[in-house]
Amino acid sequence: MPFRRIALHLLVIFAGLIAPVSSATAGETLRVLTWPGYADPDLVQVFEKRYKVRVEITLVSTDDALWQKLNANNGADFDVFAANTAELQRYIDQGISVPLILGNIPNAQHQQPRFRKLYDIPGITRAGQVYAIPYTYAEMGLIYNRKLVKAPPTSMTAMWDPRYQGQVLAYDGSTHNFTLAARLSGSKQPFQLQEADYKRAVEKLIDLRHNVLTFYSQPEEAVALFRDHPVALVFANYGSQQVKQLQTAGADIGYVIPEEGALAWLDCWAVTKRARNKRLAELWINYTLEQPVSQALTERQGLANTLQTASAAQASGKIVWLEPVENAQRRAALWSRIMSGDRLGKF
Amino acid sequence: MGRGLGFKLGVLLAVFGILAAGLTGYYSYATSRVMLAKSAEHDLLTSTQVLARRFSLALDEVASNARLLAALPDVAPIGKALLDPGTKPHRAALAQTFSAMLAVHPEYFQIRLISASNHGIELVRVDRDSDKLTRVKGDDLQEKGHFPYVFNTLRLARGEVYLSKIAINHEQGAHSGLGKPTLRVATPVFLDDGKLLGLVVINLDLNGLFDLLKTDLPADYSLYLTNETGDFLIHPDPSQAFGFDRGRRVLLQDTFKQAAAILDGKTNTVVERDGAGGDQSLIAAFYKLGFGQAEAGRFVIAGLSTPLEKVLADTRQLGANTAKIVAAFSLLAVLLAFLASRLLTRPLGMMVQAARRFSREHAMGELPVRRADEIGQLARSFNDMQVEIQAHLAELQESRSQLAHLARHDALTGLPNRLLFFDRLEHAVATARRSGKQLAVFFIDLDRFKEINDTLGHAAGDEVLMIIAHRLRSLVREVDTVARLGGDEFIILFDSLGDVHPLTMLAEKIIHGLSQPVEIKGRQLQVSASVGASLFPQDADDANGLVHKADVAMYLAKTRGENTAHFYAEGEERAG
Repeated sequence: MPFRRIALHLLVIFAGLIAPVSSATAGETLRVLTWPGYADPDLVQVFEKRYKVRVEITLVSTDDALWQKLNANNGADFDVFAANTAELQRYIDQGISVPLILGNIPNAQHQQPRFRKLYDIPGITRAGQVYAIPYTYAEMGLIYNRKLVKAPPTSMTAMWDPRYQGQVLAYDGSTHNFTLAARLSGSKQPFQLQEADYKRAVEKLIDLRHNVLTFYSQPEEAVALFRDHPVALVFANYGSQQVKQLQTAGADIGYVIPEEGALAWLDCWAVTKRARNKRLAELWINYTLEQPVSQALTERQGLANTLQTASAAQASGKIVWLEPVENAQRRAALWSRIMSGDRLGKF
Repeated sequence: MGRGLGFKLGVLLAVFGILAAGLTGYYSYATSRVMLAKSAEHDLLTSTQVLARRFSLALDEVASNARLLAALPDVAPIGKALLDPGTKPHRAALAQTFSAMLAVHPEYFQIRLISASNHGIELVRVDRDSDKLTRVKGDDLQEKGHFPYVFNTLRLARGEVYLSKIAINHEQGAHSGLGKPTLRVATPVFLDDGKLLGLVVINLDLNGLFDLLKTDLPADYSLYLTNETGDFLIHPDPSQAFGFDRGRRVLLQDTFKQAAAILDGKTNTVVERDGAGGDQSLIAAFYKLGFGQAEAGRFVIAGLSTPLEKVLADTRQLGANTAKIVAAFSLLAVLLAFLASRLLTRPLGMMVQAARRFSREHAMGELPVRRADEIGQLARSFNDMQVEIQAHLAELQESRSQLAHLARHDALTGLPNRLLFFDRLEHAVATARRSGKQLAVFFIDLDRFKEINDTLGHAAGDEVLMIIAHRLRSLVREVDTVARLGGDEFIILFDSLGDVHPLTMLAEKIIHGLSQPVEIKGRQLQVSASVGASLFPQDADDANGLVHKADVAMYLAKTRGENTAHFYAEGEERAG
């Protein structure tokens, strides 16, 4: 077949192209800070073999943990990381994230048009420079248990509904929880909270704490809790990824985008200022935009990738892109106290 | 003996000895080494099991304490107060009990009574805060209803105990326990009427507990503890423990490959040699321990490791000892080999000496003939052979001297023959020539001897010749040589003569002596002889000349009428 022959030729040319790179990077270690499912060991191994490097994957499951790790040593502990567009801002502010050389990431040209228009996506560019490449995105909808919830919920307020007291699984993360609580308690700018907004959000979140069974961190945790306890609602922090996981585990669930709109995150790859080898980090980003790697996101994790068009389910419903928040540290500190069980009177 | 048999034998014996010692040493070393390693593994596994057992017992004790606290009479008034907000809750007594419990259990971080209602509000709480105990009161009491250890415990029956996952405690305000590996042990609290009041929770300091549990273990033992997915909870390198809490999982099965069998449920114990690899090679033992309620098949894996280096050090000591023993035995073997070779080669050396002496001197040396062994036999055979050879040699000598005698003497008369005579004559001429002395040669021929032969036979003739020879011998000095030239011809050499004159007398004496009758077969025979004499140096100056001249003179005597003597005179020649 001529196609195959052409493909073979391309492969040979490609191999020739990467050869100098592999020799230049051989023996190095690339330190990747990312999320579960973004860098499966088999895919990492392909990269390691191709460029003769070692890849050290560190996984985080909350934005707070991501911040803690990158901020700890001013980013020196990692070369490349995945963060959502909202979170990215504080990394750019701190100088942890640095502009990318797009020429090193040719695979970005195969992304869907909406992700190729990098200057239209809030948070990705600053002062005319590109800081990140979109990798995957998801909206945080609401999962409901068809056996316990008769009518599909229409709003996130269902999580506060006393009918589901002790049957709600919320997410153990500060930023989104505050944004969510602020939106539902009437704040105009849920990403830029004022003192009054804070007060209302804390109150709202303590109310949430009183209504939930517990707060989960890992999607697997949610699956286990769903299995062991009568769970009616699950805040889908991991989006469709989590829906797929629960369905695989045999849960009879539905998934809705609430009418007031779901927060959605867009996760991007960014390179740290103190990366040992920025070129290798960019090679990694380029690699993740190859068809098999991006495809694995969808096939294995149920996450949307940036190469294919979104499914109809994801396309429907109102999406509120995450934005940088006014003070992530403050939100995290407050959340930690809420999580620990401090009563409203203490705030 | 140089590199002789003794040396070779000694070397061979020494090599055998060293080889035997070396091989025995090596095999005992190898066997002991394996046994040592096995015993180290066994010790390790036993210690691990003991440790796990202690952990299990410690957990049982914590559970008992939790149940004890849950059943205290102080609990009931607190429950009543909750139900009837008018009553002042009396919590100080219970807090004191908690404090007392914490005081005697340094491994407890925190003890709490948590309400089943009011979102799991803490009712009584005492925290460890460094070296003191702090009672948390009022607004500082927190709502814990959303924590698994609360909602899971509240589902239990009276007396049942909940063990939480072992995790880092992130609950703000937890004092000493904050950020520390914690195990929560909880049991529900019921009022007398069977109503669920809440739960008692003891927060257990995992590291503190294991520090207590491992106190009497050898110092070089390192402790491991993992949860049921293999995540390290305790690790000799603290940065490897609770990796999952920091987003980087560190798994037992990644470091200790064989331990995966425990996680797969194939076995409960695993001993792994050379675990970490490289310089930090370890022997490690792991033991699976059931944990919490049997329901979900929960477990932890306890493990101990010891540096392979330490076990090897023992075997190295063993090796050094074995080497010393082997060296000592090898030395002994060399000594014994030397002695044994001496024992064998000394008699051999004696025989060699004897043989050399025998060939040199034909005399026997000392031989170890008294020995009863093969060497004795050999010596005796050697001795017999020597005796035999000596006998043969003597015989040979005898026959050789006989032959020599025969070659130089006349067979009939025993007198020297012509050969010997000429030898002596030439020798005498040479001597006389140097000393200037005189010699005389008498040529004697029997008269008419042919007649005797013809008339009386050859036997009689021979008898006559023998008698004549005997007479001639008796008529001259011992130093003079009487020889038979053949037939009836005799010749005499007179050596070292002083004067010529006595020669005429001597000739007369001979003629007279021979003319005496001879008795043969009873008959008296009359014999006579003619004598010719020549002198040195007057008549000739060499042997042939002297004999010739004497022959000529004898011939002249014969022609002049037998039975007479004639001295050669110059110019005389034998007529015809």
